[in-house]
Amino acid sequence: MISRRSFLAGSLAAAASVRLVDARGLMTDPVLDDLIQRTLATAKKAGATYADVRIVRMRNERVFTREDRIDGVSYSDQYGVGVRVIAGGAWGFAATPSVTIAQAERIAKAAVAIAKANAPLLKRPVALAPEPAHVDVWQTPIAKDPFKIPLEAKAELLLAINQEAMKVPGVKFVNSWYTGNAEWKLLATSDGAYIEQEIVRLEPGFSVTAVDDKRGEFESVDDDTPPRQAGWEYVENAALRSSARRVAELAVEKLKSPSVTPGKRDLILDPTNLWLTIHESIGHPTELDRALGYEANFAGTSFATPDKLGKLRIGAPHLTFYADKTTPGALATCGYDDDGVKTQRWNLVDKGIFVGYQTTREQAGWINEKASRGTCYADSYGSFPFQRMPNISLAPGPQERSIDDIIAATDDGVVVHGRGSWSIDHQRLNFQFSGQTYWEVKGGKKVRMVRDVAYQANTIDFWTSCDLIGGPKSWWLGGSMSDGKGEPGQSNAVGHGCPPARFRKQNILDTNRRRKA
Amino acid sequence: MLDATQSRQLLAKVVAIASKTPGAEAVVSLRGGRTGNTRFAVNEITSSADVETQDLSVTIKLGKRSASASTNQLDDRSLAEVVARAVQMAKLSPENPEAMPPLGRQAYKQVKGARDAATAKLGAEPRAKAAGASIGLAATSKVTIAGYYENADRTRALASTAGLSAFHAWTSAGMTCTARTPDGTGSGWAGGASHRAADFDAAALAKIAVDKGVRSAKPTRLDPGRYTVVLEPAAVADLLEFLTGSFNARRADEGRSFFSKPGGGTRVGEKLFPDTITLRSDPTDAQLEAAPFDGSGFPLAPTTWIDKGVVKGLVYDRFWAQKQNKQPTGNPQGWILDGGKATREELIKGVKRGVLVTRFWYLRWIDPQTILITGLTRDGVFLIENGEVTRPVNNFRFNESPVQMLGKCDGLTASVVSPMGQMRVPALRTHEFNLASISEAV
Repeated sequence: MISRRSFLAGSLAAAASVRLVDARGLMTDPVLDDLIQRTLATAKKAGATYADVRIVRMRNERVFTREDRIDGVSYSDQYGVGVRVIAGGAWGFAATPSVTIAQAERIAKAAVAIAKANAPLLKRPVALAPEPAHVDVWQTPIAKDPFKIPLEAKAELLLAINQEAMKVPGVKFVNSWYTGNAEWKLLATSDGAYIEQEIVRLEPGFSVTAVDDKRGEFESVDDDTPPRQAGWEYVENAALRSSARRVAELAVEKLKSPSVTPGKRDLILDPTNLWLTIHESIGHPTELDRALGYEANFAGTSFATPDKLGKLRIGAPHLTFYADKTTPGALATCGYDDDGVKTQRWNLVDKGIFVGYQTTREQAGWINEKASRGTCYADSYGSFPFQRMPNISLAPGPQERSIDDIIAATDDGVVVHGRGSWSIDHQRLNFQFSGQTYWEVKGGKKVRMVRDVAYQANTIDFWTSCDLIGGPKSWWLGGSMSDGKGEPGQSNAVGHGCPPARFRKQNILDTNRRRKA
Repeated sequence: MLDATQSRQLLAKVVAIASKTPGAEAVVSLRGGRTGNTRFAVNEITSSADVETQDLSVTIKLGKRSASASTNQLDDRSLAEVVARAVQMAKLSPENPEAMPPLGRQAYKQVKGARDAATAKLGAEPRAKAAGASIGLAATSKVTIAGYYENADRTRALASTAGLSAFHAWTSAGMTCTARTPDGTGSGWAGGASHRAADFDAAALAKIAVDKGVRSAKPTRLDPGRYTVVLEPAAVADLLEFLTGSFNARRADEGRSFFSKPGGGTRVGEKLFPDTITLRSDPTDAQLEAAPFDGSGFPLAPTTWIDKGVVKGLVYDRFWAQKQNKQPTGNPQGWILDGGKATREELIKGVKRGVLVTRFWYLRWIDPQTILITGLTRDGVFLIENGEVTRPVNNFRFNESPVQMLGKCDGLTASVVSPMGQMRVPALRTHEFNLASISEAV
């Protein structure tokens, strides 16, 4: 993390942008300072009791290939300003891609007018938890700016992956891709915060498909390289090309594999699969707005209601889940959230007991907490900032234990690797997940590959049945570039780390319908 | 937001800039939008926004090399920069043997009345009024309501160095709401969508959600299993989307689709569904917010994909159509599952023992080969016994395919615009629907 707080401590917001430019030069246009000050003043004059201005630039580069050719190359650059206000106790928000003083002042007035239209229907005015007025810069530590790496290098890597995979007999298709995002934003609040950040996220990957034309069957296996907050060096160091053949061989083997024998069996989840189960069953239910009914019309509510805080056992006593926006490389990591709150780490589930929520400045007071946990986020200049998931991870066990150790200790089970299908109900109880590759375990050994596997469970039963987790060296950081929430829908990138784990006597389904097709 | 003339002028300017690069062909597209929204929950308004967006995308082709760049800044310098970037990227990009030349001038169907002026200018106050009507009704009924109201005014324009010129403007509006009982055991939902905000009534929708919420309270247990189900339009649309998205001809020809035939070829011409099943797309249906052209500017025509149970065709892009000696179809919009003559009550009346489903949630692929989908029921599930709705029951996770939903369908109501918009579907009755496990969620 790059932080220049020591240089900036004590500065006043009005002069801050100049200091920021001096400090590092991330901010390219000092004229923006004038725009920010005038917009905040306009909002105040129109009746806002609080206002913030976010100027956001999102850059995105994508390269897609299939087999021996390029499928698509694209770059997008989106820039704009959003103004969020509280007036009459209600929120109002307006945004425009025209980043000029006149337009920003216009939308500031529009945001106040919207807030005033909504105020009469308000029962309790919005109140923000206190937060120091931070003045700072933060950026993803990167060695090689991915946007400066030539396109040929990206295409060459992807086509080399495809070439390796296509060498395996039985493989018919390979798709590979690279996505790079850079999110630059400048947040200024009427409380005096002035924060500039740039977050860089990358996602390389590929998927191999084997086809049996005679039987009319096909199976695919996706590579499990996780997306990261990183520079191009991450892609260079990832074993994409060297794993292409192995992934291709897995796809061919999967197509020849028998369907799983369904029933109550021990389930061993590799971290490449378990991270998403954590996301859905621990991450979403501990969003405070959801738990209180604020997402009832879309994402749903939660089993983890505030009356259960500190009391509900969600999982076995050796399970501790923590939230943070500070883990290096994790997708949600940053210096400050979109409320201007400094990021931190805290527990959601401590030794199996539900102990914490994800909150924003607006929400902290709803459960009598004095400060926000710093999880406010908006996915573009045109999006209203609200509570979004930070990184949420399962802490490893204290003693070293690998997935092989867990397999060796299992008499009858199924091992699941990779991200497959995922679905969970609107209170985050009944879930059903699949993966990319599966093996049956008998007498402590992986005996054969199987397919058509899904596991279906209830969140609390599932985590309570967990009896073994891996140690510190088995901990692996995964994540997703896109997680949806809200209306209108917004997308958020999140990181999730975990060790492998075993769950006793889970409901394993055989999802094969081909014989009926 | 730029109107038709301004959009065409801007695109002409960009095409002229692109034409300065020797040998360059270009397709440029512009999207404009003004959207407004109001959210409410726990019986009060929680947030509201008016947002302007625009996006200019430039695809440059240099022989078989191609790349796209986009920006939302429309000043002259940004236009020159976005073209220069696309040119530079195209030069660096490896050749794509499948690259197709830009489309030239096309003739498009008319979508009559696609843009409704009243919907375009609808602001925070009428949205607050709609929210207020819902909240008032919920408070009177002693339930808690949450909902979302959105209206949008949008444009889409395309031009190319080969003479393509397309413009479409349309509006959309929609409202959904969920009413929950204070004891947390009942939840009901309703929604409406159209290109005209006047086509649905917030208070009427709220009343459906509140009634359903109250009636669904204190559900009793119903075991998982294969049931006859009556699916309301929102549920039908959610599951049907996985079928409408599976018509890609290339994937079928490549042997990796439901429409692939074992041993090679496709299932076009096979009768896979009952006579009552006809699936069409109609880009001229204004209420479905469709456009008369797809993202590449290809003209869309009303098309029948399943006719009285027989698969009539698949979706061909220009490259695959040329390779397979077929006509390209463009990417269809405005899907319609033709309805029948039954009323909702008649569908229920014909059920000895079954389940009435309001809507689905969190649908995800399990198996693309059989279009096997998992998901959950939500916001109003009721037991039907001897032709009558008798009691609310728990939610379920289902593992089922839209192929089976249509294959075992024996009753359809008239089609309506799906409460989520963009599709016209009936409520329908189908059999042996796999409600695989119980969800305790309400």
